[in-house]
Amino acid sequence: MEVLTVLVPYILRGLSITLEVTAVALGLGLFFGSILAILRVYGGDLLSRVLTLFVTLLRALPHILLLLIIYFIIARVVNLSAFWAGSLSLAIISSAYQSEIIRGAIQSVPGGQMMAARSIGMNRIKAIWHVIIPQAFRYAIPPWSNEAAIVIKDSSLVYVLGVPEILRQAQYYSARTYQPLTAYVTVAAIYFLLTFITNRGLDLLERHIRIPT
Amino acid sequence: MPKPEKLIVKIENVHKAYGKEKVLRGISMDINESEVVVLVGPSGTGKSTLLRCINQLTVPDSGKVWVDGVELTNPKTDKDKARQHIGMVFQDFNLFNHLTTLDNIMLGLVHVLGMKKEEAYDKAMLELERVGLANKYGSYPGQLSGGQKQRVAIARSLAMEPIVMLFDEPTSALDPELIGEVLTVMKDLAEGGMTMICVTHEIGFAREVCSRIVFMEHGEIVEQGLPVKMLNNPDMQRTKDFLGKISVLD
Repeated sequence: MEVLTVLVPYILRGLSITLEVTAVALGLGLFFGSILAILRVYGGDLLSRVLTLFVTLLRALPHILLLLIIYFIIARVVNLSAFWAGSLSLAIISSAYQSEIIRGAIQSVPGGQMMAARSIGMNRIKAIWHVIIPQAFRYAIPPWSNEAAIVIKDSSLVYVLGVPEILRQAQYYSARTYQPLTAYVTVAAIYFLLTFITNRGLDLLERHIRIPT
Repeated sequence: MPKPEKLIVKIENVHKAYGKEKVLRGISMDINESEVVVLVGPSGTGKSTLLRCINQLTVPDSGKVWVDGVELTNPKTDKDKARQHIGMVFQDFNLFNHLTTLDNIMLGLVHVLGMKKEEAYDKAMLELERVGLANKYGSYPGQLSGGQKQRVAIARSLAMEPIVMLFDEPTSALDPELIGEVLTVMKDLAEGGMTMICVTHEIGFAREVCSRIVFMEHGEIVEQGLPVKMLNNPDMQRTKDFLGKISVLD
């Protein structure tokens, strides 16, 4: 009985935070990752090099270290809550990985597509938007679902900043009831479900927008 | 009375190099309204590069290009705007893979010319009918044969109401039995008075349809003239050798 009355509210509260952190990290990561990728492919040599360096640096940092830097150094200056410091750190990291995914996808679109778009008088931005991106995003879905699975689990890192996502909540529960098994198995099951549902959803999306041949 | 000739494309001393490889070495050419020019020559002689220099998909290193009186090589010229009315057909079709044939044609009408959707739809259907593919309006490129793809690509260009059409080996990627349907469309176009510049090895098409054959080698124009003359008794031995070889294939 105690499981239902105590564990469930703990977990549910944590779950909503986990979902929020994941949504912010994946959503902003996609937005900035796409911009990074487009600039790296089409932005000219110098810009492309600078951004590649930025991505390389981000990928070289342990994620947790960036969280700590942003929370303990940057958040002091710009006044960010632990939630936002954590979510934004994860978004920045994810944007680096997502930019690699999307860059690869853009480069998989045959060069003739851009040429054909330009030949009918489209400017570069329109051609990217109407011709390149719709095809690139289709290529990006499978590797992107990989990144989504990683970010879902990485959302637990905000725990080090004291943000009460599900893992943190499970720990509180465990400390209070001395039932670590119940707590951690429940959390494991929830991560599994989140990842499973996300990947299934992306799978369906991929099939739904597949170009008929 | 033949109507006075109107200059559509003027190319003046165009040079282009990729690294040390000089692809075009000073090409000059005038193309009048309703002329159908066929560019031939061994592969790697710069025919496709020359076509792309006309609509500036490739920017020449030096030299000038005018289309319909507008100098495209002038940095102040809005190249996107100029390209709206220079049709281009590619060897590998380059239809937008994620769009139906109808949407392939409508994309430029709506997002480049700013047409209303309904108007663009009607126009696109008309162009599909013109190439005999109205029944394929809902098909994706991946569902069409090579010949059908190329006809849709031609329709996509025609919808923009080009003043000149550039064909870059439009039949080279096609199975032999599909070449005819594309050539028929091109022939109809030529008979309708379209100004056309075609890179092709279809000598039959050149003989029947074109007004001038231009033979290029090593980035230069070796010789040009009427098809009858070029095919039967060209001045240069190199021209004779090359055209002789590809005529055998015809």
